[in-house]
Amino acid sequence: MNFKKYKKLSFTVIALILLVGLIGCGSESSGSNADTTDGQSSSEPTKGGTLNVAYGSEPDTIDWMYTGASATRDVGWHIFESLFALDNDYKIRPMIAESYEISDDRTVYTIKLREGVTFHDGSEVTAHDAVASIERWRQVSSVGTIADKYIENVTANDDYTIEIELSAVYEALLSDMSAPKSALMIIPSEIAEEAGEQPLKPEQLIGTGPYKFEKWERGEEINLIRFDDYAAREETDWGGLSGKKEAYVDEIKFQIVKDPQVMVNGLKTGIYDYAQSISPDLYDVIESTPNIDPATYINGYATITPDKSEAPFDDLKVRQALNHALDKETIAEATYGNEAFYTLDGALFSPEQKELYSEEGTDEFLAYNKEKAKHLLAESDYNGEPIQIMYSNDNDNYKKISQIAKQQMEEVGFTVELVSYEWATYLEKWADPKNWDLVVIGWSTRFSPNELGMLIQDTSSSGWYNSDHWNDLLDDWATAETNEQKQEVLGGMNRTVYDELPFIKIANEILFDIKSDKIKDYDSWVGPRFWNIWKDE
Amino acid sequence: MQYTIRRLFSLIPVMLIVSIIVFLIVHLTPGNPAYLILGEDSSQESIEQLEIQLGLDKPLVIQFFSWLGNVLTGDLGQSVYSSEPVSQIIIDHLGPTFSLMVIALVLTLLIAIPTAIFVVWKRNTVLDPTFISISLLGVSIPEFWFAMLLVLCFGVAIPIFPVAGYIPFAEGALNWFYHLILPAFVLAAVEIGLVARMLRDGMLESVNQDYTRTAKAKGLKERIVLIKHVFFNALIPTTTVIGTTVAGLLGGTVIIETMFTIPGIGQLLIDSIYRRDYPVIQGVILFIAAVYVLVNLLVDLLYAVLDPRIRYD
Repeated sequence: MNFKKYKKLSFTVIALILLVGLIGCGSESSGSNADTTDGQSSSEPTKGGTLNVAYGSEPDTIDWMYTGASATRDVGWHIFESLFALDNDYKIRPMIAESYEISDDRTVYTIKLREGVTFHDGSEVTAHDAVASIERWRQVSSVGTIADKYIENVTANDDYTIEIELSAVYEALLSDMSAPKSALMIIPSEIAEEAGEQPLKPEQLIGTGPYKFEKWERGEEINLIRFDDYAAREETDWGGLSGKKEAYVDEIKFQIVKDPQVMVNGLKTGIYDYAQSISPDLYDVIESTPNIDPATYINGYATITPDKSEAPFDDLKVRQALNHALDKETIAEATYGNEAFYTLDGALFSPEQKELYSEEGTDEFLAYNKEKAKHLLAESDYNGEPIQIMYSNDNDNYKKISQIAKQQMEEVGFTVELVSYEWATYLEKWADPKNWDLVVIGWSTRFSPNELGMLIQDTSSSGWYNSDHWNDLLDDWATAETNEQKQEVLGGMNRTVYDELPFIKIANEILFDIKSDKIKDYDSWVGPRFWNIWKDE
Repeated sequence: MQYTIRRLFSLIPVMLIVSIIVFLIVHLTPGNPAYLILGEDSSQESIEQLEIQLGLDKPLVIQFFSWLGNVLTGDLGQSVYSSEPVSQIIIDHLGPTFSLMVIALVLTLLIAIPTAIFVVWKRNTVLDPTFISISLLGVSIPEFWFAMLLVLCFGVAIPIFPVAGYIPFAEGALNWFYHLILPAFVLAAVEIGLVARMLRDGMLESVNQDYTRTAKAKGLKERIVLIKHVFFNALIPTTTVIGTTVAGLLGGTVIIETMFTIPGIGQLLIDSIYRRDYPVIQGVILFIAAVYVLVNLLVDLLYAVLDPRIRYD
């Protein structure tokens, strides 16, 4: 038997057959599992079931007061509630508070709490808990530390009334108290005092929300279960974080899933019901998959921030040249692809944030003009020294923005180098102005002018921005009482940003989650919320 | 026995060098947990304060010796994030990784050994080149790609296996096995190719040896000759490969656990690197190194059992 001759041939043929078999099997994936029911069987909400949420990043803590991180917030707001909360239009509504009064000189706030609100440990929420929570908030929360400068005294008048005394008029107090980042969540007074400036430990996670903390297996999952004694409000039309909340599913499991492909596959096969932050590249695939729906929500915006402590961007002319050099429409289109994932708007807040949005003063947002840029650059002291654009390569969007910005800047006469780091390294490099001239970074949705990280004076996050004008505007914000006054300050803020160009806004970003069509009555807001939804099984 | 003790002592300098390298790589990589914990709009003062709290403000040499001192007393430190002791974290993540490795190893041996014997038995047929191509394919396919294909085929297109997840053994052995079969197979694919090839080559070599001819001349059946004389003589080099296989499996879990969302040592390591959780990274790598070194020692000792001619004393 002489097989020698065939050896090589059969070798190749077999390898090819195997390869084709494997690949062929891979491409037949779509459409083969379309035979699930349409899900229109019943429209009455039913209680029960477990909601499996595939969540991309594990929070460091679930202490929603301690940090403003999205991963903390998205879990935390199922467990905790604050005195005031934002509704669907980002308007301030009472939550644990029942009503409030402001004295004639606008420095004393008297807040009445709802009676009969209970913590997950069974005790009732009293004014003492609220006072202790506010005290901790003043120390640990990035929002609370700003409000702290105006707060003189917080006292409990009786079991259900607290009084906040201010040292000066501060109209932003209620807005700070309802901000869903580093939130003023109400926790039992013993826990607030015990934890102090440290983040809450798992056993201290006791709030008043519709779900209570059950367990946290690090690296795996965070379990919440329905809180049966939840004291719901009546209002069904407020939405957001306010109004009536009803927990239909028995249990929510936030499972830590790093791989986006696993999320999509898991949703297709029913392991997960919801998956967070999917790549926009998969949008078309999702749209055509029968039992999965996309859920989109606003998520702040992408920016380019110049280092204003050093040449060349300490010169306003060079910053103006940069703004005129960037064709933001092209950048956004090339970066986000589908128009479902970005909007071009120059304001500091999103148009959805009706109380904070003003379109005043944003004329210079789309100011693409190559000639003007060249002219301004020629007038400035810039002589072609290389400019370093730094970005984190963990995020595809910022990489694309950096690359296109480089090209557009070179067209008007800048010399540009790109430097990219992995997130942890990037954060460290950011702290030192020597490492970069421009950073490309996104900022998640903010809820108060005090929280705009890219404008906090003299820090690396703002590129060492120092402006008396901006500080004056923040003071004006503190005393703006009526809606018109607020709108005026907000317009002035927009104008200042375009006059001084501490950062350059590229485009509003829209994030994209996916959910199974078994989830009913889901309503998109600034992040995933799983009350008032139910599972149709 | 004396040999074993001597070998155990020789592990000390190895582990010491590993620990120095690990410590240096981890600490000289740019990035700092303080920045990660406090986020992008943190102030310089709060970062410095946290660095002091975490002991990161001290010189590297002092940090190293205080860490080493603790390690020698069995204390691997605690996570920068959760404040849990590192040894406890490793123990908590050991179950899934160990399960995955055991199933992968059993699969490897169960498939590789009979295949190799069968191929040697039918060594002059078209089976042999077929076997070589498949094993070559197994060795050369990148794990992550193979994992994706298997998931698409048997998880999504024909949904017989779950695409991700892990069920502890205590919650049902069947479910445990069912969730691990796909990742374990991916992990085993490379090793099956390797072990089977090694065994085949070793066996083919002894097929032409004098003792095999003698055995045949005695009138023994082909099957018995193959198993009793050929197979056992090919076992020594194969044992070495299986030893490195165990270590290779441990490395492979880093990718596979991330792809299948299995909360084991591999995923722990990746997460800790992204978060710059220094004590956890150091602890996990030290642990993996220790397993590697011990498995190698075990293999050396096994030689003496498998081949009575080998004596160490």
